[in-house]
Amino acid sequence: MSISSISEVEFGVDLPVFEPDTSLETASKFATLVGWGGARFTDHEAARKEGLPGAMVPGILSQGYLVAMIHNWAPSAEVKSIDTVFRAAVIADEKHQITGVVTDINEDDKLVEIDITVANEKGETRVFGTASVQIP
Amino acid sequence: MLLDLHTHSIKSDDGRAKVENYCQWIKAKNIPIDGFVLTEHRQFDAESGYSDLAEKFGLTILKASEVETEYGHVLVYGVTEALTQAFDFASIKLSLEMVLEVSEAHGAVAVPCHPGRPRVGMFAHTEELGIPKGVKIVEIYNGGSRDKEDQIAIDNAQALGYLGIGGSDSHIVSHIGRCATRFDEKIENIDDLVTALKTGKFEAVTLKESV
Repeated sequence: MSISSISEVEFGVDLPVFEPDTSLETASKFATLVGWGGARFTDHEAARKEGLPGAMVPGILSQGYLVAMIHNWAPSAEVKSIDTVFRAAVIADEKHQITGVVTDINEDDKLVEIDITVANEKGETRVFGTASVQIP
Repeated sequence: MLLDLHTHSIKSDDGRAKVENYCQWIKAKNIPIDGFVLTEHRQFDAESGYSDLAEKFGLTILKASEVETEYGHVLVYGVTEALTQAFDFASIKLSLEMVLEVSEAHGAVAVPCHPGRPRVGMFAHTEELGIPKGVKIVEIYNGGSRDKEDQIAIDNAQALGYLGIGGSDSHIVSHIGRCATRFDEKIENIDDLVTALKTGKFEAVTLKESV
C-alpha cells in the first residue's frame, strides 16, 4: 500500500518489502558506469582472491535501492537523508531483502524517520541505517 | 525479568536510535523485554538521564559502556566516575585483562561481547594471544551475529566454563530486543544488575525468531 500524506503514516508501520536486483550483471554494469570497475564488483573469482566471499554490490547502488523502496511506499516523499552503516558486504547473486519501518513521526515538520535494513536470505543484517523523509 | 544488555543510542558514533523511540517501539510492538542497558561505544554517558522515560514507559533504562581491547569489544556494567578515571574509555587499544581487573576492583563487571565475531570478538584472538585471565561472563547471544558467531561463542563459553548473557547490540530502533538476559530478581538500577551478574543468577535468551 502506498501513502500520499503524512496523516496516513503510523508509528511502527512496515514499508512493503523490497527485493533489490543484486545480480552480478547489474552490480558490474553499475560499478563500471560510476567508475568503480574493480574486479571486486565484477567477478566472483577475482573478488575471492581479494579475500571477499564473492563480488559485491556497490554500496551506493544499495543506497539507491533504499530510496527506491521508500518511493515505492510514498511516491511523493522527499528523501532528506539516508544514513547507512555497512556491517558486511552485500554479495552479488545472493538474494537480499530490504525492509523499512517507521520509528518516528514529526507531524509539525512532516518528517518521518524510517529504520532500514538490508538482510540476506539467512536473515543476517548486511546494511542498516535510517532515512529521514518529508511527506506532504 | 528480561533485560536487553547491549544497546546503542545516538550517543554512539554509529548509533541511530533515540532512546525515546526505543521505548515507544518496545511498547508499540509488545517486545517482551522489561528494559535495556545503553552501552555506548568508547565512553560512559554520564550526562544523560532517562528516569522520566523509564517512568513514562514502565521500563528499566540503565547505562553502561562498550570499550575496545586487543581481544575485541567488552561491555562494562557498573561504571563509576572513579572507574572512568582509571583507564581511557576512548582508547581502542586497552588491555582486556586490565579492563577486567580494574573493573572488578571498582565493583563493576566486564563482559566480552560478540566473542565469536572475527576481529572484534574475543575468541578470534585466543589462538594467537592465549586465554585471557579473569573472564567469567561473555555475551553468547548477540542480535547482530552472522554465520556461526553465536554458536562459536556458546561452544567456547561452555568449554571454558563462562556464563553467558544476551543483548541485541541494536543501533537502530527496530533492532532492540532481539536478544536479552533473563534474571530471577527484579533489576531496578545498575547496582541490582551488577549484583545479579556477580551472583550468576541469569540466563541468556534469543528472541530473534519472535521479534
